[in-house]
Amino acid sequence: MHEAGIALNLIEAVQQRLASEPGARVAAIHVRVGELAGVSTDALDFAFECLAASTPLAGARLVFDAVPLMVACEACGVTSPVVDLVFRCGACGSERTRVVSGRELEVRTLELVEETEVAHA
Amino acid sequence: MHEIDVKSGLLAPNDAVARENRHLLAERGMYAVNLMSAPGSGKTSLLERVLPMLAAGHRVGVIEGDIVGSCDKDRLDRFGGPVHQINTGAACHLDARMVHHVLHHLAEDGCEVAVIENVGNLVCPAEFDLGEDDAVMLLSVTEGHDKPKKYPLMFRRADLVVINKVDLLAHTDFSLAAATAAVHDVHPGVPILAVSCRTGEGVAEVGTWLERRIASKRAAPVAVPAGRLR
Repeated sequence: MHEAGIALNLIEAVQQRLASEPGARVAAIHVRVGELAGVSTDALDFAFECLAASTPLAGARLVFDAVPLMVACEACGVTSPVVDLVFRCGACGSERTRVVSGRELEVRTLELVEETEVAHA
Repeated sequence: MHEIDVKSGLLAPNDAVARENRHLLAERGMYAVNLMSAPGSGKTSLLERVLPMLAAGHRVGVIEGDIVGSCDKDRLDRFGGPVHQINTGAACHLDARMVHHVLHHLAEDGCEVAVIENVGNLVCPAEFDLGEDDAVMLLSVTEGHDKPKKYPLMFRRADLVVINKVDLLAHTDFSLAAATAAVHDVHPGVPILAVSCRTGEGVAEVGTWLERRIASKRAAPVAVPAGRLR
């Protein structure tokens, strides 16, 4: 429900990074989204499309890379996936687990096209 | 065509201010608790019961988050400490920036404890770290015992889960055992207290839990916890 704000943060982060890449146009933005990030990728995609329209990022594609929800056990050391939202260790059943992935929400990479490549295309 | 790295967290702007809030709290030896639940679970009713207990030993300030209006603030003004209203306009949650300047006010005002009542919502507030020491969440009997598995982030986030309206247990199909099991699936080991803000049953335990947390913060005031990834 706050995807519009997140889309604005995304646009700002990408534009900041682009400052050091003059003459480049963004073709795609890769975003890592954890299984338990609490974000709807459809809503984020839609918010991005609307908000980016008036920026140099207009037309860029969002590519979502899903990150599975995993816990590491502090008792037996095994890392296991969280199944049916049960956050106990999948190997020994211990309650002493810590989330090691699945909460990510970050821009990872940008696919850039040089403006000259665009002109020739 | 080429690819470049960015590695930028999309909640980073909020997390940065949350870190500042955490530092402010550590510096002033202030304790802050973020109270969250669905609308109508009894956050304000719980505060009406618990604030007088906390205020007996500390100077307590309250931050009231609501989309519009000041009904909750008007109820809590009676307890005597400072109550600041934040109206979010349309936003469905408080974020770190919204509470930042109010935390400063409360610190200047000599408050040792800040109680933040978030906007009633089980979804968005869970995503926004305010820099608080503890998150307390309320689940009420009338909402049903399946909620932990439907809103896992919120239950993960909680340092204490309070089940309110237990005076209504006999009139509903709510199972305390099923609720406890679901909470502990999502967040193994998190403490759960059953209360009725209407009759007062169990609310003293919530006050005791908070007093213990306030005391342990005062015993180790400079520890700045990392937060997130729960």
